[in-house]
Amino acid sequence: MENIKDRVLEVITNGNLDYKQKKHHLAYIAENTQAYPEVSDEAMKALDEKVICDLFEGHAPYRPRYILPDYKRALRTGVKYLELDPPTDLDEAINFLSILFIHVPSITGYSVYLGHIDQLLLDYVGDLSEEAIYKKIKLFWRFIDRTLPDAFVHANIGPEDNVIARVILRIERELKQVVPNLTLKYDAEKTSDEFLTEAVKTVFDVAKPHIANHRMTGADFKTHYGVVSCYNSLPEGGGSHTLIRLNLKKFTDTHSGDTDAFFSETLPKYCQMTLDIIEARTKYLVESVKYFETDFLAQEGIIKMDNFSAMFGFYGLAECVNQLMKSDDKDFTYGQNEEANQLGHRILEEMKRIVDARQLPYCEANDGKAFFHSQSGIDIDIEETAGARIPIGEEPDIYSHINTVAPHHHLFNGGISDIFHFDETIKRNPSAVLDIIKGAFKKGMRMFTFNLSDSEFIRITGYLVRRSDLKDFREEGSRYSSTLFGANSMDNADVDKRIAKRVNSYERTASKY
Amino acid sequence: MSELQANISGIIKSSVIDGPGNRMVIFFQACNLNCMYCHNSHTIGLCNLCGICVQACPTQSLKIDELNKRIIHNESICRHCDTCLKVCPENSSPFYKKMSVDDLISEILEVNDFISGITVSGGEVMLHSEFLRHLFISIKEHPELKNLSVLVDSNGNVDQQDWEPLIDFVDGFMLDIKAYSSGIHQKITGFSNERILNSIHLLNAKGKLKELRFVLVPGYNDNVDEVKKIASLMKFVAQDVKKVVIKMRKHGIRQEYGFLSEPTSSEMQHVKNSFEAYGVHPLVI
Repeated sequence: MENIKDRVLEVITNGNLDYKQKKHHLAYIAENTQAYPEVSDEAMKALDEKVICDLFEGHAPYRPRYILPDYKRALRTGVKYLELDPPTDLDEAINFLSILFIHVPSITGYSVYLGHIDQLLLDYVGDLSEEAIYKKIKLFWRFIDRTLPDAFVHANIGPEDNVIARVILRIERELKQVVPNLTLKYDAEKTSDEFLTEAVKTVFDVAKPHIANHRMTGADFKTHYGVVSCYNSLPEGGGSHTLIRLNLKKFTDTHSGDTDAFFSETLPKYCQMTLDIIEARTKYLVESVKYFETDFLAQEGIIKMDNFSAMFGFYGLAECVNQLMKSDDKDFTYGQNEEANQLGHRILEEMKRIVDARQLPYCEANDGKAFFHSQSGIDIDIEETAGARIPIGEEPDIYSHINTVAPHHHLFNGGISDIFHFDETIKRNPSAVLDIIKGAFKKGMRMFTFNLSDSEFIRITGYLVRRSDLKDFREEGSRYSSTLFGANSMDNADVDKRIAKRVNSYERTASKY
Repeated sequence: MSELQANISGIIKSSVIDGPGNRMVIFFQACNLNCMYCHNSHTIGLCNLCGICVQACPTQSLKIDELNKRIIHNESICRHCDTCLKVCPENSSPFYKKMSVDDLISEILEVNDFISGITVSGGEVMLHSEFLRHLFISIKEHPELKNLSVLVDSNGNVDQQDWEPLIDFVDGFMLDIKAYSSGIHQKITGFSNERILNSIHLLNAKGKLKELRFVLVPGYNDNVDEVKKIASLMKFVAQDVKKVVIKMRKHGIRQEYGFLSEPTSSEMQHVKNSFEAYGVHPLVI
């Protein structure tokens, strides 16, 4: 109890946290006074040692991790709990959504999904001019950034070109806000080159939107889907109860047998433990908390439990492969060598098989299976590369890079990301980016994200910070003299101390108190 | 299929600066100009097997293959120090390779999903007019490659009969004008420019001139009269021809031309203003 009192006092008196951030941390401390949902001692040990990571979701899950409200339905029927009638024009629709967004729970406290925003608003445009729409949405966008200051808050646009999406891209380029994160759903048959070019030019300025392979992703879901948080694709009107990720590096480091033993014993053991934790947390949320019986979103049909599943994530594939190669006395590295790449594919396919073979309760959205997700990393990942990515600084040329990662993208119905970097000369030739995106999708990539090397925005795992916010930190960065990747990770680890504290990502800081 | 071969000095599989979209660029060896500011002077000449590079190589990674009249390069021990290129008296390189049309088609097929088209460049690519015709026909008749655009990046220093057989298979030609006055052109490139001016007019008349570029070299082609003549030429060609003024950069030029100076920002701005005064609005890079 003394310990808890000290932690509470530390939060309350911490001048670097604003009022809402303090409340969030206090809630986290309070939640963690509860016992963890019941799992085996071995699984608990794996959690303590961070071999399995629950991304600081807390001991007593009282809301799903990712909720994707069916905003279209809410707009159509109204929301009784919030005393909102169906809107009749664009002002009312924006006002309706602004209110609803604030009431959507998540782990970070801010809704990770703002909906397929252009499709939602198009019905209310009427005969408004583009300039009139622009003015309204610009205020809406400012409202979102100031009231939902979390880089995981995510909106979707596309695949068709339309006035709302165009206006949003224009506003993004003007306002240069971190929030919301943005994904354009691309479909070769529905998305015009002109629209994709607008999106690419927007990336040049603000490092978003991400470009999603709409046809490929859509085929994985029974209902409409949304891209939320950091490249997580999930069903609309549902979401994911939890996301638990397995640190492939950590348990491979302690694996003592050969590669065969890795596949027959070690890998399945840790996958099952991860699934046990997912199951225990899901049951707690559904059975003990009775979330789906008590929350207004579920009561009013804006979400349905049938549209939920859970997410099985992992990270550190590169280090896992390299370690196994080393154990076999082979100096081959993931991303550079075909044999190492093949081993990577084999590990991913085996994990997918294990995940698909395990029936989980309350995961109807994916027929009782967890969504498989290549997790894009958080600040505490110092030694591990995000998901199945090639380590930063070791990426081969762009075609080899795409040809290495594209063959496994089909496995990840829960989402995957690889980040590509272009020199600023490409700004004069945006159609070159279109060529590469289309080629990447033909090769089977699910998501394409790129940055310019000199962009004002820097992508950290899946979210953005402004370079100017990091400037002071960068100037002191020389005290980190380890490897490039280590240095980058250390940079990342301290990012949240330096960026304007109004915008935060609580999942990464929650454990500090 | 054609048995023709050409000397290929290099292939870049992804370029965003050699025409619209992402392009594969094929560089051909040998040039018929000798520009002072050439950044790839090792693509100007052809190897005569003199062996100077073989002697100079610090890692002994080069060997003369007397039988096949070529130089063998052992990539596994090469440190890419470029000593061979620096010592070559012929402005050549031990690295270029003979490739057939089929060889190039295979290379293009590998990256076909990612590109808008191919650009052939040099050296001076038009010295291989017959080979190019075969290559372009093979591309345009290939079921998977036929939609690729084909651009030719040339110095323009060839006769009319070299252009004619290619024109129908090429989407656009990108040419340089190094100087308008023949004397200045001679100083910069070692050759006069009559054929080049004819080529510009011919390709413009055929509607195939895609880009016309001018590299500004202080002390040579930056005087008022010269800039005026270049601007007039740019104004004369079709409006949709992309006009570009390029700042001469010293990076990679031969030591003996170290005396050249790069234009300053204000010089570039001044020239840009001059072009604009003549009604030409070039991209300045």
